Amino acid sequence: MSTYGYLDRVVRGRVFQPKVVAAYGFALGVLAFWLTIPPFTTRSPIWPVLIGILATLAGVYAVSRGARRAGWGAVVVGVIGIGLGILATRSSAGNLEQVFTASLIASMLVFATPLTFAAIGGMFSERSGVVNIGLEGMMLMGAFWGIWGADKTGTWVGGLVIALIAGGLLALVHAFFAIQLRADQIVGGTAVNFLALGVTGYFFVQLYHGENIPTGVSQIPDVNFTSNSDHSAFSDAFGHLNLMIWVAMVLVVVSYVVMFKTPIGLRIRACGEHPRAADTVGINVYATRYMSVVVSGMLSAAGGAYLTVGYLNTYNENVTAGRGFIALAALIFGNWRPFGAFGAALLFGLSTAIAFRLPVYSASAATLFQALPYVITLIAVAGVIGRSIPPAAVGRPYVKQ
Amino acid sequence: MEQATVLEMRGITKRFPGIVANDRVDFDLERGEVHAVLGENGAGKSTLMNILYGLYQADEGEIRVHGQPVSFSSAKDAIASGIGMVHQHFMLIPVMTVAENIVLAIEPTRRGVYFDPESAETRVAYLTRKFNFAIDPREPVENIGVGQEQRVEILKALYRSADILILDEPTAVLTPQEASELFQILRGLTREGMSVIFISHKLNEVLEIADRITVLRRGKKVDTVPREGATEESLARMMVGRDVLLEVEKTPGEAGDVLLEVEDLQVVDDRKLPAVRGVSFNVRAGEIVGVAGVDGNGQSELVEAITGLRRAESGEIKVGGAAIHHGSARKMLDAGVGHIPEDRQRRGLVLEFTIAENAELHDYNRPPASRWGWLFPGKFVEWAERLIAEFDIRGGRPGSKAAVLSGGNQQKLVAAREIARDPKVLIAAQPTRGLDVGAIEYLHRRLVDERDEGRGILLVSLELDEVLSLSDRILVIYEGKIVAEHGPDASEEEIGLEMLGGGRKDAA
Amino acid sequence: MSESLTPPPAPPEPEAPPTTLAGRLALYQRAGGIATPVATALLAFAISGLVVLATGHNPILAYRDIIRGAGLDWLLHPWRTNTVETAPYNLTQTLLQTTTLILTGLAVAFAFRCGLFNIGGQGQYFMGLFCANWVGVSMVGLARPAHILLAVALAALAGALWAAIAGFLKATVGAHEVITTIMLNWIAYWIGNYLFQQGGPLQGAANKPLNIPISGDVARSAKLPVFWGDPDLQGLHIGFFVAIAMLFVFWAILNRTRLGFEVRAVGYNPDAAAYGGIKVRTNYVRAMAISGAFAGLAGGLDMLGYLYHFGVSDVQASSIGFLGIAVALLGRNTAIGTGLAALLFGALLFGTTHGLQSNVIDPSLAGHLTEMIQGLVVLFVGADLLILSIWRARGRVRRQAAAGGPAK
Repeated sequence: MSTYGYLDRVVRGRVFQPKVVAAYGFALGVLAFWLTIPPFTTRSPIWPVLIGILATLAGVYAVSRGARRAGWGAVVVGVIGIGLGILATRSSAGNLEQVFTASLIASMLVFATPLTFAAIGGMFSERSGVVNIGLEGMMLMGAFWGIWGADKTGTWVGGLVIALIAGGLLALVHAFFAIQLRADQIVGGTAVNFLALGVTGYFFVQLYHGENIPTGVSQIPDVNFTSNSDHSAFSDAFGHLNLMIWVAMVLVVVSYVVMFKTPIGLRIRACGEHPRAADTVGINVYATRYMSVVVSGMLSAAGGAYLTVGYLNTYNENVTAGRGFIALAALIFGNWRPFGAFGAALLFGLSTAIAFRLPVYSASAATLFQALPYVITLIAVAGVIGRSIPPAAVGRPYVKQ
Repeated sequence: MEQATVLEMRGITKRFPGIVANDRVDFDLERGEVHAVLGENGAGKSTLMNILYGLYQADEGEIRVHGQPVSFSSAKDAIASGIGMVHQHFMLIPVMTVAENIVLAIEPTRRGVYFDPESAETRVAYLTRKFNFAIDPREPVENIGVGQEQRVEILKALYRSADILILDEPTAVLTPQEASELFQILRGLTREGMSVIFISHKLNEVLEIADRITVLRRGKKVDTVPREGATEESLARMMVGRDVLLEVEKTPGEAGDVLLEVEDLQVVDDRKLPAVRGVSFNVRAGEIVGVAGVDGNGQSELVEAITGLRRAESGEIKVGGAAIHHGSARKMLDAGVGHIPEDRQRRGLVLEFTIAENAELHDYNRPPASRWGWLFPGKFVEWAERLIAEFDIRGGRPGSKAAVLSGGNQQKLVAAREIARDPKVLIAAQPTRGLDVGAIEYLHRRLVDERDEGRGILLVSLELDEVLSLSDRILVIYEGKIVAEHGPDASEEEIGLEMLGGGRKDAA
Repeated sequence: MSESLTPPPAPPEPEAPPTTLAGRLALYQRAGGIATPVATALLAFAISGLVVLATGHNPILAYRDIIRGAGLDWLLHPWRTNTVETAPYNLTQTLLQTTTLILTGLAVAFAFRCGLFNIGGQGQYFMGLFCANWVGVSMVGLARPAHILLAVALAALAGALWAAIAGFLKATVGAHEVITTIMLNWIAYWIGNYLFQQGGPLQGAANKPLNIPISGDVARSAKLPVFWGDPDLQGLHIGFFVAIAMLFVFWAILNRTRLGFEVRAVGYNPDAAAYGGIKVRTNYVRAMAISGAFAGLAGGLDMLGYLYHFGVSDVQASSIGFLGIAVALLGRNTAIGTGLAALLFGALLFGTTHGLQSNVIDPSLAGHLTEMIQGLVVLFVGADLLILSIWRARGRVRRQAAAGGPAK
């Protein structure tokens, strides 16, 4: 083979593979916007427009060569990059400095962490074939009983353990109805959410008279890499993150390994794709599903406990405020995969973090920005950018012969 | 060959609510033989095998494997005793690879924790070489064909060191070539000392592959006979318990005007693969045109396209001379196409609806059933009463749910609704599947009567006997094409061969 | 009758045909007459009672006080109708909640009959509410009937359109309505936060300088007439009769119109419906739109009937749309059942909170009993196997009784 032929093969084989081109487009789209914010803060709109157009073209190329999902993704990112880029160049550099600081990353991670826990939990449940729209309720249980436990035992470790138990128990209720009684899983999940709202609300009043949790409850500690006087970008972003944030990131990796690199994961997935096939080779479908649902409850509860014991250090009624549903959205948007779900949680966390800073521009934009995760998920399930495909047997009760 | 009994089942009895599925059945299996279990649908073959595989527990009886009494409470126990089963519906996970499917539940691991796909692939590759299966362990199951999926199922059993293999109706989903390849594989396995239980209701293939044949009828064992000396006739007699098959009295039809004309029709299936590939034929007034073929050769898609339930890719359908483009179900109904669908419970009836509501399933939207969007339930009842009387539907009143009717009466209700609409063309897909003899005779009689009334009838059936005894003209469908056309006196052998892709000649 | 419920005399199918949610619920509807929902509700009350007991309160006294709080003791002396007295006043408040719950319940029930689970009642209720507020506040100068009719009609339309998004996505790309309606709920929630917040488009003009995130009051010409009680103290408005009328409309649409025939056919068996010549996808959109119209109407009537204004904190606290799920499920998706279940939950809603005067249990505590009972009811209704086993046990007992004494 001639050198030219070899090069030709490399170029055609790798560099212009549709998915790779789409990835370039994706990166260019992000770059288009990135150039206009600190630390670069390009003031001319020409650059974001030019780069954004390149990103869009790359996406169109990828779509035309069959990489539909990735390609449309690049097109969308390109267009958004142009839009945001132009907006940023029109805004004052001072405002930009306020919104786009390194601490935005820390803030994104704070908001993404409860979502990550619950979404990964949901992945276990749904991969095993049990729909779990009760994530919100399980999270709320963890949030309330976690801080109660930390208050009573005097240590955040106790709080976390009690949160896991509470979330696990509620999940067990869901599992019992979904698996044993073959109740409709969506109806059951809805019920679990109401139940958690009632139970936590009731005991919050009973135990704390609906007032604030006493201050000084043991809090999950931060992990300090840098000194408090350090104000470098790295320090602002990663220097003082809560322990649970790091746990969440480890959890993503571990759950990926468990789900896709171990026999346990293979069996869980088998139960979610074709339970009868799993049964006929001797896998206990009921036990696997029970275990997965309980794990999902415990992980969701850990996310809730982070919220109260790790972040807010207090509790108020319905403190989770729909985060369990955003986690569900992250799970779907992330295509029932750990890194996908984590990526979606980061994206949704970022949108929340930005929403909290947007009032410097406009209060209305800040509020509407909070709806972004839901809009994105709506678009995702509509299949505009590829289609999210759930496990084949999810939601169907299994009847053992 | 060494004659050792590897399996004995004695006095197996299994009752379900209202039915004795197995009644004191004895069965034994010797090393290296293919032992066929033959019987009609519902004779108790699958129940017996599910008991052997631990999916059901017998109410009475004893099972011995290699002389040891065993009791299986789950498939896991049966697998541990060296029994493998290939189910009629494959138990494979489409998104996983061949190797993952095979090793599931006994996965090789690395360092005791991690699943080891390379080792799984190596072990599977070893098996595929040993038994000469052409199959790639790394391929996802969703990308391989039906014949290969069956081999994966067999590999699953072999990987679990099974020496007894149960095959439940294995050829039902196979093309003839695939079936003969399967038989090759089975002969190879028995040479290696495996024993095979082969469940079937097809006489010819049982005679081809089996060493011994056990016949079940209504849950009871009739007899076990060696292949030598058995004939299709003798086996059929044992299976059905009487000599003659159903005959329908009819005079030769007098074909009139063309009522249904199908021109170069192309239809794809749910997976977007071509299922009907350029089919042309016509049905005239006063004739029954039968379509014979093995299941899955495009019959369902053909019927769905003609009745507007599936969009045709190309081609033309004319009803009573008028071409209908992009016919929806409603357009086809209005054009005068009646349809007795192949699955009355899933499609033909809304089981939760009353008989009266089902009787008006097509015509609820026009007078007298409704006017200006408003329904007149009294008219529904009147119409249902007429159908019940005229078609002798028993077991329910107009206000009863259709679900309470027996299968035969449900089918009568469907047929009554379709015929009473006075269609030009009546399409009957598997009209007698799963019915008792009385209902079958009634429906056959009725189809002939409707032909004599001057309707055109298209009969699609998997039962060749039914096609032969009713049709005035017979079309043979194979792989989505009409491969032959015959008059009413065609021989069963010739058509049987064509259904399997042999003896091909161009359609008229 | 119980003969038809015994399983068909055949071995279980290896892969039974998947029935729709509506099909499963139909099974539930056949089983047990009124006994099953009553038992379901009693069980939920009993379990919640145990929680009350475990936390040191007397559940029987607590429930007695809740019944009084709901004004149901008015039935003991129905001639005393002046709402200056507690019992009649509490009853009017219970019926106010019932009005809303009938409609949000119908919003869930109608979709169920088409095989769809509409969790989006809350969002559709919000859209109706926002729309009614906008029309009621801004379009002043209209004659009273015209103003009311316009506001109510647009509220229903807003709810219908919001729900139709989910129906449309289901029909065109097969997106699961549960996911889409959940997302639409939260989008509506944030739209509400945006509309009423400081500087939001619907914030009341008088509230702007005061930095109060609450809308303006609807004009007098848009307020619904009150027929029982003091209009200034949340009297019972004529929307109550509208809700009752909607129960009839619901029944009539389903059982007496072509549309209802199609919706039910699709709900029970989409394949058979398509075979019958019914356009399945069109019916998904229509059923969702009608469902949404019920919820939107609920929002409209609430706004014009007694709320008159709405704020950010109200948006964040509202959950009456979700309660419609429990109402519909307990009422077995029928008109009469939904009406009765709405009365039960309406009584709970008011009787455990504002109406409650008790030295046994505090309203702030009792209020959460509603959520618990709601959760338990939904949980039990979803478990059809549980219900069927109760039903079968009942059938066995009955047969044994008929056979003369218990079997061995």
